[in-house]
Amino acid sequence: MLTRDFVGGVASIAIGAVYLIFSYQLRTSALDDSMGPGGLPRVYGWLLVGLGAILTTQGIVSRRLAVAGGEKGTGEKGEWDGQGRKLLFAAGLLAIGVGYIFVVETLGYLLSVAVLLLVTALYLGAGNKARVLAVATLGAVFLWVMFVIVLGVRMPSGLLASLGL
Amino acid sequence: METLTHTAAFLLDWHVILAALIGVTWGIMGGALPGISPSITMALLLPFTYTLDPTSAIVLLASTYIGAEYGGSVPAILIRTPGTNAAAATVIDGYEMNRQGKAGLALGISLYSGVIGSLFGLAMLMTLSGPLAQVALAFTPMAYFALGVLGLSVIATLSGENLVKGLIAAILGLIIATIGSDPVTGGTRFTFGSPELLGGIEPVMIMVGLFAMSELLVQAGKRGQDERVTSRPRIQFPDWPLAKRLIPAQLIGNGIGTVEGVMPGAGGTIASFMSYNEARRWSRYPEEFGKGSPEGIAAPETANNTVAETALVPLLSFGIPGSNSTAILLGGFLIHGIVPGPMLFQKSGEVVYGLYAGLFTAAIGQLFIGMAMLPVCIWLVNRPRPYLNAFIFALILSGIYSIHSEAFDLGIMIAAGVLGFFMRMLRFPFLPTVLGLVLGYLVESNLRRSLVLSGDDWMIFVDDRISLGLLILSFLFIGGSIAKRAYGVLRHRSSSTFAENAES
Repeated sequence: MLTRDFVGGVASIAIGAVYLIFSYQLRTSALDDSMGPGGLPRVYGWLLVGLGAILTTQGIVSRRLAVAGGEKGTGEKGEWDGQGRKLLFAAGLLAIGVGYIFVVETLGYLLSVAVLLLVTALYLGAGNKARVLAVATLGAVFLWVMFVIVLGVRMPSGLLASLGL
Repeated sequence: METLTHTAAFLLDWHVILAALIGVTWGIMGGALPGISPSITMALLLPFTYTLDPTSAIVLLASTYIGAEYGGSVPAILIRTPGTNAAAATVIDGYEMNRQGKAGLALGISLYSGVIGSLFGLAMLMTLSGPLAQVALAFTPMAYFALGVLGLSVIATLSGENLVKGLIAAILGLIIATIGSDPVTGGTRFTFGSPELLGGIEPVMIMVGLFAMSELLVQAGKRGQDERVTSRPRIQFPDWPLAKRLIPAQLIGNGIGTVEGVMPGAGGTIASFMSYNEARRWSRYPEEFGKGSPEGIAAPETANNTVAETALVPLLSFGIPGSNSTAILLGGFLIHGIVPGPMLFQKSGEVVYGLYAGLFTAAIGQLFIGMAMLPVCIWLVNRPRPYLNAFIFALILSGIYSIHSEAFDLGIMIAAGVLGFFMRMLRFPFLPTVLGLVLGYLVESNLRRSLVLSGDDWMIFVDDRISLGLLILSFLFIGGSIAKRAYGVLRHRSSSTFAENAES
């Protein structure tokens, strides 16, 4: 039952429904035009729900047709093969990114980008520890020079503020 | 003639020259990395363009596109892995030539054909984009609304296998575009009390997240050693007899590249394969195709480089991006407050002429940079993926943070990356989302302004001649796409029935 179309359709209905709830809560004033700030958002919300329903139906129908054609079980399994593993690895990288957001202003750009390079390379499977350390250090210095010195961007100094970095 | 004079003035502008050469260099490196498409290569540069003047920023991005189209052929020829989708057709004969010990010549043909394609495409771009400037001043809010509808109608051809998924993707983009201030009353919508959302979400955050971040999330699950380049070829250009033999294939590439580039949704990949096919059909040596034919490299490489320029025609003329790469370029325009479309030549003519000059510099520069960068490309292709991806991740996060020095932007970009990851997993196309995102404001503001002007009379869109013309064009576009899909389904069914009958 859980084909990609079915999951995509249900997700669209859910997103559309939540969006509709908020679009109906938009305040209107007497000075608004006839359509108002909520006019098009409501249209978008209903369209998303409607299209999501069509996609869900497509998913169910195509699954039933596949089952009737004698492909019971195989199609669904093949469709999701390896996706759970992909999702886990992606979640790990996402966690590293979120971690960077939390530390960049406290640790400072140079230090946090070095840690980011180190942790990401190790997480993605880099084997040689000494090489990873060298790449993280040189990479961080390269990025710092490019953004702070060459482009003149104000990056957070954090712990290294006293060193003027 | 006037266009040429204005363009010539920028040919010696060192900002333009530098941006073009850096763009081509970056593009060749990005294109050479399998998995990193031209649009991702361009998206990585987007945050840097904030610090540049508008002309340099646009030239940098457009030159990257040109460089990436050639760069894609390097791994295609050397390790049978196309660096870009458009280089897939080059694999067939390019890798065969490599196996025959002619990798240097194959790369030379690719580079030289790419330069020819770029120069021809630029001539077409300059010829086809100009006339629109004449009607620019006649554009009313109604016409702008219809222009937005025309842009959204392109979704019908960009949706891939499933039109419903394309439409859902487009609505997601339109929904993101509603966050921030209301375009007519100025009131806030969907900001949830966050001051960072008052100005809306900048397309650059979404584009970098959708294209680059989501690709990294997908690649996070890939393990194992990629194929390595073991040879050290040197680029060798064809001699005169061979160059003469390549001319018909290059002309085919030019012709198909022009048509496919101008049509939104077609793109370099289709142009490359069509050119390859036509070059084989018209070749005096069709039996060599698939076995290391030089024309089999010349035709697709000329075509995809022609597309890199002619794809800018609908973008500059109507503000409609017909491919992922031109959508990123549109993001570059929007960053600098420039809205491509009918008024572009009136309001920002110098940016357009600078772009033409930059594209010319990039095309010529590509010849020399392509030769010089080959060892670098081979070195990059041989780097272990974990280091490259870690560096790209750091570059994305640094680039986005540098825009407003706000960690909030990083959160938006990462959220867009997650959205893109699930869209990839569930096979939703990206381009409709980008179209919805960039056209959402145009459609809503002009629709509501027109209705205020007409006292809520919808006939105003029919009474305005330009608006009516564009709306008819939109319906024809949608109708044509649906009819083409229906024809494809019927043809598929009838051929299946025929096969079943034949079997029984």
